[in-house]
Amino acid sequence: MTDEQPVREIGHDEFDPNGTLALILIYFLILVGMWIFMYFVEFLGNELTVIG
Amino acid sequence: MDIHSYEKIWLVLAVLLIAGFVSTVTYGATAVGVQMIDDDGGTINANALDEDPRFSNPRVEQVGENHYAAYVVAQQFIFRPDPITVPANSTVTFYVTSPDVIHGFEVVGTNANTMVVPGQVSKLTVNVDEPAEYGILCNEYCGSGHHTMEGKLIVKPESEYAQGGSTDRLRHSNPVRRASGTGSPTRRLSSGQLS
Ligand SMILES: [Cu+2]
Repeated sequence: MTDEQPVREIGHDEFDPNGTLALILIYFLILVGMWIFMYFVEFLGNELTVIG
Repeated sequence: MDIHSYEKIWLVLAVLLIAGFVSTVTYGATAVGVQMIDDDGGTINANALDEDPRFSNPRVEQVGENHYAAYVVAQQFIFRPDPITVPANSTVTFYVTSPDVIHGFEVVGTNANTMVVPGQVSKLTVNVDEPAEYGILCNEYCGSGHHTMEGKLIVKPESEYAQGGSTDRLRHSNPVRRASGTGSPTRRLSSGQLS
C-alpha cells in the first residue's frame, strides 16, 4: 500500500508554511493593538501623570 | 545556514515590534514628559519631621504663578493634610515623607503613585486640570490599620480656591462650622480659639 503512495521530495525553500505565517501575523496584530491600547489609552490617558 | 523566507518575515516583525515598544516609551518620556520618581526629593531625618519647615506643618503652598507644593506626611494610619486641596488647572508638586514605616501614596485611578520611605522625600509633580475629587491610599502594608489608611485630593475650581479653599483656611473654618451645629455660642468661641 505504501509503495503506491506518490512520494515527492521538496527542497528547503519550496515548503511554505502559510498557516503558520498567517497565525504569526494575527498574533502580531493582536500584540500591536494591545500595546497601543495599553500605552496610549490606559497609561497616557490615566491622568494624573507624573511629569517631574 | 538556510533561513526560510517566511522566517525572515517574522524575524523582521519581531525586531520592528521591539523598536515600536522602545519608540513609544521614548515618545512618552520626551513629547508627553512622563518622568520616573527618583531620589530627587533628597533625604530627611525621619525622627525630626517637626523640625523641618516643610513637614512640621503639612500643607499646600503656592510656590509659583500656577505651581503649588503639597507637603504631605504619610504616617500610621493617616495622610496629613487631609484633604489635600489644590486649584484646578495648576501644576502640583507633592513632597511626601514618613515618620514611621514605609507607606504608599497613590492617587487612586491615576499614574500618580509612589512609595513613601522614612528618611526619604518622595517628590512627584503632576498637572491637574478639571475640578475633581480623588481618593488617596496607602498601597504598602504598614501595620494593623493599613486598610483604613486613606486620604483625599480635592481639585477645586480656581474661583473657590482663591476664596479660601486652602487647607489652612479649611482647618480654621471646620471647628467653627462643627461648633455652630451644636448651637452653643460659648462652644463656638472656644473652638474658634483652638485653631
Ligand atoms: Cu500606610
